[in-house]
Amino acid sequence: MLPENWLAAVEALRADGFDYFDWLGCVDEIGRQDCFRVILVARNLAKSAEPRMLSCLLPRDDPRIDSVRGVFAGAAWHEREVAELFGVEFVGGERRRLLLDPGFEGTPLRKDEVLAARTGLNWPGAKEPGETDASPSRRRMLPPGVPDPAVWGDRDASQPASDPAEVAESAVGGRVLRRRT
Amino acid sequence: MRWIDWYGDGSLYVLDIALACCTLEFDAASPASAAPVPTLDDRAHVAVVISGTVTDRLAPGVAAIIDGCEQVAGRRPTVISFGACASSGGPYWDSYAVTKGVDQLVAVDAYVPGCPPPPEALSAVLDQIAHRVKS
Amino acid sequence: MNSPQSSHRWIRLIEPACTSCMICARECPSWCISIDSHTEPVAGLPTGARDRTRNALDRFAIDWSLCMYCGICVEECPYDALEWVGDLTKAGPSSESLVEEMAEKPSARTSS
Repeated sequence: MLPENWLAAVEALRADGFDYFDWLGCVDEIGRQDCFRVILVARNLAKSAEPRMLSCLLPRDDPRIDSVRGVFAGAAWHEREVAELFGVEFVGGERRRLLLDPGFEGTPLRKDEVLAARTGLNWPGAKEPGETDASPSRRRMLPPGVPDPAVWGDRDASQPASDPAEVAESAVGGRVLRRRT
Repeated sequence: MRWIDWYGDGSLYVLDIALACCTLEFDAASPASAAPVPTLDDRAHVAVVISGTVTDRLAPGVAAIIDGCEQVAGRRPTVISFGACASSGGPYWDSYAVTKGVDQLVAVDAYVPGCPPPPEALSAVLDQIAHRVKS
Repeated sequence: MNSPQSSHRWIRLIEPACTSCMICARECPSWCISIDSHTEPVAGLPTGARDRTRNALDRFAIDWSLCMYCGICVEECPYDALEWVGDLTKAGPSSESLVEEMAEKPSARTSS
């Protein structure tokens, strides 16, 4: 659904008997579409806790959605977590960080955010069988989580900045089997 | 602080900084004689065990507790990093939110590997500290 | 209290089976396995045979402070060169002391 219908849909869900808030989360759909998908699950305790899921797509370059903490007070913490980890803005929501340090910079759960620790360390698996020291001319194998240096890290300054989808795709890792849609 | 009188005889007092799953093994390791006590015997051995992942957010708190132990005990406790997370960040070493080992904050005397280590691994280290090495 | 008898407490290298293929080091999620190897010509080939090389393992180390005991290395090794054992992995006084060198030093090896 569209962001403008979100609050009304959640209110309707609660009115419909699904008054037990289960969780609210987010999925970064980069690579499939340039969106974040915000998901809410609520349950109807009167009907054996039957769950119902609502989801809303937000444009990645302007991810704003209404806060539903007025409908389910418990959603406030889930929204704070999504806000700090994905950079989604919950209009009318609480702005305080939940898990990350106030000084933390970045939105770690976005797929184009690179795990810096992995890029900074020599991967033991980069060596080839029969090798002890790195051979400088040989193309190195990259571990999952580290994008190709040409895409991120060592990109030619004359090239435009990499597109987030390119970075996310490049960091998937050579040995991971990916389902082609 | 609530110290655990490990052998029940005032010879070794242990404080657990219970951060994650490793603390369950700490609980399993504590002998039946163990009893929490609020004050220490001056002559006893004193140990602090860090069980679990130290997140960047909690790191100042962990450091403060260990400093506090030293003040309360009047001497530097033996610091044991219990499990992979406490020793180096373990499987979460690459996380944006994890401190790579409690030794980034304080000096560590014993590093116990494991994920989690079995309870016997902790008992063995504590027995050594209290000079009760099993034959 | 003693935990139930477990055979999954330490991982041992069966050095003669290792071909330095690097699969365990690559699959390890914690990046705790370090391997150095070099290539050597194979001796004792029949006359006229083309030169062949094989990998020789120089260093195989596991950093136990990082290992999460998932066993992926044991399962992935195509040559069954890693196995679980039931002894405790030893605690140590320093982070470095938890890095276990498992390959025999070259001087200790008999010539093949």
